[in-house]
Amino acid sequence: MLSGVDLTVKEGEFVSIIGPSGCGKSTLLNIIAGLDQPDSGLVELSGNAGAKLGQTGYMQQKDLLLPWRSVLDNTILGLELRGVPRKQAREQAMEFTEAFGLKGFEHQYPYALSGGMRQRASFLRTMLMGQDVVLLDEPFGALDALTRVQMQEWLLQLWESLNKTIVLITHDVDEALLLSDRVYLLSARPGRATLVLDVELPRPRNYYMVTSPEFSALKARLMEPLRSQIQSIKSAGQSAGQTD
Amino acid sequence: MIFLKKAAGLLTWLLPVAILVGLVAAWELWVQLADVPKWQLPAPSAVAKELGSSSSLLWDHALVTLQEIVVGFLAALIAGLVLAGGIAYSRVLERSVYPIVIASQTVPIIAIAPLLLIWVGYGLTPKIIIVALICFYPIAVNTVDGLKATDPDMVNMLRTLGASRWQVFTKLQIPTALPFMFSGIKIGVSVSVIAAVIGEWVGASEGLGYLITYSQPLFLTARVFAAIFVLSVMGIGLFVLAVIAERMMMPWHFNEKRANSMRQF
Repeated sequence: MLSGVDLTVKEGEFVSIIGPSGCGKSTLLNIIAGLDQPDSGLVELSGNAGAKLGQTGYMQQKDLLLPWRSVLDNTILGLELRGVPRKQAREQAMEFTEAFGLKGFEHQYPYALSGGMRQRASFLRTMLMGQDVVLLDEPFGALDALTRVQMQEWLLQLWESLNKTIVLITHDVDEALLLSDRVYLLSARPGRATLVLDVELPRPRNYYMVTSPEFSALKARLMEPLRSQIQSIKSAGQSAGQTD
Repeated sequence: MIFLKKAAGLLTWLLPVAILVGLVAAWELWVQLADVPKWQLPAPSAVAKELGSSSSLLWDHALVTLQEIVVGFLAALIAGLVLAGGIAYSRVLERSVYPIVIASQTVPIIAIAPLLLIWVGYGLTPKIIIVALICFYPIAVNTVDGLKATDPDMVNMLRTLGASRWQVFTKLQIPTALPFMFSGIKIGVSVSVIAAVIGEWVGASEGLGYLITYSQPLFLTARVFAAIFVLSVMGIGLFVLAVIAERMMMPWHFNEKRANSMRQF
């Protein structure tokens, strides 16, 4: 499914992987997270080869909150699995509920929350694990357009204060450019990194930048190869079914 | 809107009650008008009178039957949950024991009930065993299904958080299984009353099932109906208890369902 993908992420960097559906983006993250094993090749984290489960933070498109736990108890799930006493873990989580926009909703069940809030709760659960590398698999893909923009700006601010290394998967060109230091473009099957683009927009960034000429120029450079790939998938996909 | 909703809620209660009252009234009327003899079919009023006059007799026998049901059901619950847990956790148990559990349900319990008398004697024990055998199956099978109904994405999420196999079982599989388990419990409770009566029919000296078999040849038909009435009340009461336990253990489940149904309007 994937072949010849060479991805380097430096500490504290924000890197995005963009590509058409079915190019193996999620497989790549699953391999980095240690959920899937690669047929060949390796993943190195801080010089240690071999991905292991629980070494990276991983957040998916679905919020995957447990419906029987309050929002607060969902966020402490990882700490609890690690053996941190509940009371202590809850205190730790409470320090972040304001920054994650969950204040006042800590004791609600997930069904009572909006999509954006659920996604932030899921993100807090990931962040509380304290890993330096965080993998985000289309985290805002299921949200409506306005909420998505809000979440992108929120994530920008948060990342600038957290000093985390983030690998984001998306098929939203604006999202990739707005958030990242670098964007990798993956081609369709077999997934291959066809373009690496350094995003030299000044930080701190905000959403208004998407209308700037610099942004448009970068977007044009990404759109061109992306479009030709989508064309080739269309012609190739006539006979075979595609899944992400 | 609120008024309409309240009226609709009241209607859902009123309708079955009204139908029941209508049926009982029709029964009473028919017995009175057609002059049906009491030993053949007693009027509801005669059954009510019988409930009053032999209340202490019914009470004594009801306690025995209730004891058989409660002990048998609890045994089935414990055995069913332990076995379901084992089957869902261990592939070896699933391959070896689960087919036997399913096959066991094809054995007609009524046929082995007389044998139980020979094996374990005449007291409460054979009735408790019959109740347990009948209640066990729905509890075990539903709980196994529930333990296996986990979302694979949820499992992966827990694994990336560093969860062990056992932690996935306790933090994800067991809570996921609760609604399924309660479906099994509600079915089990409903059939437990029938199971106790079957047990008493085969051979007993006390209990409501015994009272029915004893009263029938004597043409004490009103007493038979009174005993049936007490059995139904017992079954409904136990079912209500199961529903209360279900709501107490899974408040999130019912709130979520309500929130979703509101969203549809």
